[in-house]
Amino acid sequence: MIQVENIKKKFVRYKNKKEKVEFYADNGISFEAKEGEIVGILGPNGAGKTTLLRMIAGILEPTEGSISFDGLTYPKNEIEIKQKIAYLSGNTKLYDTLSTYELLKMCADIYDVPKEKAESRIQEICKMLKMENFLYNKIGNLSTGQTQKVNIARCLIHNPQYYILDEATTGLDIISSQIILEFMKKEKQKGKTILYSTHYMEEAENICDKVVMLNKGVIIQAGTPEAIKQETKTTNLRDAFFQIIGGVSDEE
Amino acid sequence: MKNNLWNILKKELRELFRDKKSLAMMLVIPIFIPLLILGMSALFEMQMNKDVEDYNTIGFAYNLTEQEQQLAQQMQIKIVMGSEEELKQKYENGEIQLYITKQDREYTLNSDGSEISTYAANLMETYFNTYKQILQQNYLQENHMNADEVLNIITVKENVFKQDNFFTNYIRSYAFLFIIMAITVSATYPSTDTTAGEKERGTLETLLTFPIKSKDIIMGKFLGVSISSIVTGVISFLLAIVSLIVAQNVFSIFEGVDVMFSPISMIIAIIIIIMYSFFISGLCIAIASTSKTFKEAQSALTPLTFISFFPGMIAFMVGVVGTPIISLIPFLNYTVIFTDLCNGNIDYLNIAIMIISTIIYISIVLTYIIKQYKSEKVLFSK
Repeated sequence: MIQVENIKKKFVRYKNKKEKVEFYADNGISFEAKEGEIVGILGPNGAGKTTLLRMIAGILEPTEGSISFDGLTYPKNEIEIKQKIAYLSGNTKLYDTLSTYELLKMCADIYDVPKEKAESRIQEICKMLKMENFLYNKIGNLSTGQTQKVNIARCLIHNPQYYILDEATTGLDIISSQIILEFMKKEKQKGKTILYSTHYMEEAENICDKVVMLNKGVIIQAGTPEAIKQETKTTNLRDAFFQIIGGVSDEE
Repeated sequence: MKNNLWNILKKELRELFRDKKSLAMMLVIPIFIPLLILGMSALFEMQMNKDVEDYNTIGFAYNLTEQEQQLAQQMQIKIVMGSEEELKQKYENGEIQLYITKQDREYTLNSDGSEISTYAANLMETYFNTYKQILQQNYLQENHMNADEVLNIITVKENVFKQDNFFTNYIRSYAFLFIIMAITVSATYPSTDTTAGEKERGTLETLLTFPIKSKDIIMGKFLGVSISSIVTGVISFLLAIVSLIVAQNVFSIFEGVDVMFSPISMIIAIIIIIMYSFFISGLCIAIASTSKTFKEAQSALTPLTFISFFPGMIAFMVGVVGTPIISLIPFLNYTVIFTDLCNGNIDYLNIAIMIISTIIYISIVLTYIIKQYKSEKVLFSK
């Protein structure tokens, strides 16, 4: 189980050389994600989704609060936590000079997958994601869809317990995004925990067990999609979101 | 806990040896070493063995005796006669390389001190010394004295134990300065690529999500860049040795001189190259990792190429020799120890101080970078 408790992240922005402005990208976020759950982190651009997931993935350090994975916490258990998670964002870049096979082999070595298992695991993932045609091609020569498949393959190599997916479908065509959505469903069935951020409300409504709605760094609503719709008396999460924030103002 | 240093190093080396620019920096720069050594040797040879035809047309503003004319003919001096004004004009037109005026017994060599007129002046000094000797011999004979006894009252012989060669030391030291510069350039590109480049391409974020300690990431990157620099340094050094052997067989300025390093000197030279490669790789990674973009890192590292070269060059020009204090000064210590090596002086204390101080400097630099990679600033600074 992932437990996020009262997470805050303060950044400093410089207006000019002398004047600095402090602001909270996330301010007091708390929620939990259980085994076999897909938890959607929803909100518009600038809501604090990426900062939150980066803190959960151990790339950013929270200013306040704590994150725990089955009792393991940062920074004490950083390596153990990272061993159990897979982080994938829409911006995740891979090494262009390596072939798909070399990258997967490298990841298997890093995640300490036993040598005898690594080879069969690569072949298994390759078959599952239909990557046979480009397994030995350099990543720099692959299409966007193929690269995203390699990214998913790299996340699967160590069979992680937790997936942190940050706008993983943003900018992808319909086929590539479907690959990711299918992958999430399969992993959920295996009892894996998935945190999934998106600003596509419809996508989240279809796939998530729970959603956490963020706006301007704070939680504005959390619960199952059905519960949120009932509470806001709306028919979809998109309308629910706008009802909660009071519509679109000029400021937005 | 698993040590991922080897995995990172493997990745770094794969990227390095597959990147055309990194390979070019690593392997093409050493090719300039033979050009430098053979070019400098050819230049020195040209200066040493200047053709006498280039500077032997001399103006005389006075009438020469038969004896003087004979001597001039023997020394291949071409005589141009004329008044002082005429000769001055001819000198300015480049028709003669020097002109001589005479008042009573005083001869004056007139020139502007240019390179060619200096050669002409040396020729004429030999001419006048010989002429003076002839006059002295004639005078002594006319006065019934033994000229040989008077003129050669003492004799002086020169016994050179081992022929030292200015040119060999000069060329070897400059070649080493070039090797230092080549190592610096070779370290600059991969260190920029592996830090700021990786940040710019977005792969650093991916790397930081892996269960790898910052220490392993930095050590892997550091060793990758160091290997690239060492390859450049060792190839450059080997090419320098081959070029010196070729130069010795081709150019007469190296005649009778042993240009080759002794085996122990070669081992020490390679140790200096390895230590410098480690030092500069650490420094380049530290500077480049504070930059956000590849371009920013390149700009920050450019001055380093000059810094690596100039202290050593100045020390070599003013003849600084190795001391324990100098062996502590980065950049300067490597060149001074190598120059001492070229001069046949191996000071093991200075070498040990250089090695230990380099290890300390590298440790400080690496600790700084590891600390930086533990913090989110490495990804999200500014």
